Amino acid sequence: MKKIFLSVAAISLSLAALAQAKKPTIMVVPSDVYCISNGYSQQFVANGVEQTLPDYKKMMQNDRNMRMAITKLAAIMADRGFPLKDLEQELKNLEQEAAEVAAMQGKEGGEIVESPIDKLKRTAKADIIMDLDFNIQKRGPQNYVNFNLRGLDAYTAKQVAGATGSGKPSTAAAPELLLEEAVISYIDEFNGRLQSFFDDMFKNGREIKLQLKRFNSASFDFEEEFDYDGETKEFGDIVDSWLDKNCVQGRFSRADGSGNMLKYEQVRIPLFKESSSGRQTAIDARMFANDLRAVLRKPPFSIDCKVYQRGLGEAWIIVGEK
Amino acid sequence: MIMRRVVLIFISLLMVAGANAQSRKERKILFGSSYNYEVAVLGVGQDGTKVFKVWGYAKKVDDAIVQAKKNAVAACIFRGITGGNGAAPTPAICREPDAEETHAEYFDSFFATGGKYLKYVNLTTDAVPSGQDRLKVKGGYKVGVAVQILYDNLRKDLEADGIARRLDAGF
Repeated sequence: MKKIFLSVAAISLSLAALAQAKKPTIMVVPSDVYCISNGYSQQFVANGVEQTLPDYKKMMQNDRNMRMAITKLAAIMADRGFPLKDLEQELKNLEQEAAEVAAMQGKEGGEIVESPIDKLKRTAKADIIMDLDFNIQKRGPQNYVNFNLRGLDAYTAKQVAGATGSGKPSTAAAPELLLEEAVISYIDEFNGRLQSFFDDMFKNGREIKLQLKRFNSASFDFEEEFDYDGETKEFGDIVDSWLDKNCVQGRFSRADGSGNMLKYEQVRIPLFKESSSGRQTAIDARMFANDLRAVLRKPPFSIDCKVYQRGLGEAWIIVGEK
Repeated sequence: MIMRRVVLIFISLLMVAGANAQSRKERKILFGSSYNYEVAVLGVGQDGTKVFKVWGYAKKVDDAIVQAKKNAVAACIFRGITGGNGAAPTPAICREPDAEETHAEYFDSFFATGGKYLKYVNLTTDAVPSGQDRLKVKGGYKVGVAVQILYDNLRKDLEADGIARRLDAGF
């Protein structure tokens, strides 16, 4: 009996040790200021307001310096265990996917169902954006590079890493060489900060955003009171209590709330949870939201909810129906 | 009166001697300190390398050069390198503040004379430094040498040995 117990304990421990957090995807995206100031932009009129947006496809087809910088960054990041998503390839894939979805038919003539939301979601995405900007400046006969690389968490919109500065002016070196030198020079500092972000994530949990919204078919709003856990509280306060219990060290902030929505930021979720089979599984915002949904489906709420995923780090729970 | 002067002179001499004794002790501690890395960045190195000037202290010039090489590698591992001359700062490879003590056994062998640390010192001004790079100080020499450290190789080996944490560790 003792042997069996020890074996089970050893297996559980090894499974916990082997569990790995969900790896964030990283992509280099040229900054808006770079694209627009270099003429890689498109004009749109939306709701009577003229908007200028970067044209990434045009930029990738024309800008050798940016391509070189992206290639260099990708090679270095792959070496550090983070192969980057390639923006150019991602854009090509999306075009191809759209064409294939439109052309695809079943043997019985059925077509692939795609809602407007599905179409909206078909964009180039990554969990961490490496927002890259540089410009080659002249000072008399000398060239130098201003370099700005920011690591942005796509869901919390926080800058999690960064490196910026100006290279040493040179008369002899070609601008491309100065740019390569800037990438080599700044990437260690950038990765050092990225490592701090990951260390913090492993220590204090993944930071996500969580929003609760309601369909107009929902039978109650978020100000309604319920008897829950021996207390009578507003729905919003019950969600607060649930988050307090389930977040790492009870860390979350309610950024806003009303009868129709609850908005939580800086929600620190654990990286792993124990599944029903006893295995440690990596979790993300969607799985965390699913746990809350499971609570809402039970009395006293007894309501259906839709969990809408926005990448690894943001989820919406829409109360009222699936 | 004369006696009083003699006593005062004697006390002054004792104080000077005392001050010297303390500075000698301090100097010894300074020479032996494992945190005494003086580093000046020379520019952006080739891909995966760091180029900087580093100083070492020892009684003999040759020993000071050896110490400088050890300091160069140690600075990359424990303290990081400040920026300058167009190069951005480089963070320490081992980010835990007490890495040196935690892995004391590993680093004792790593930094032993002729140890593994030499693998990462690719290029130095190994000739006996002169001028400002070779200063006679009390109790020995302070010597500055320019070094090229194979930073990426050093980081990868420390990661493989389980001393430094990989960027993708845990994923």
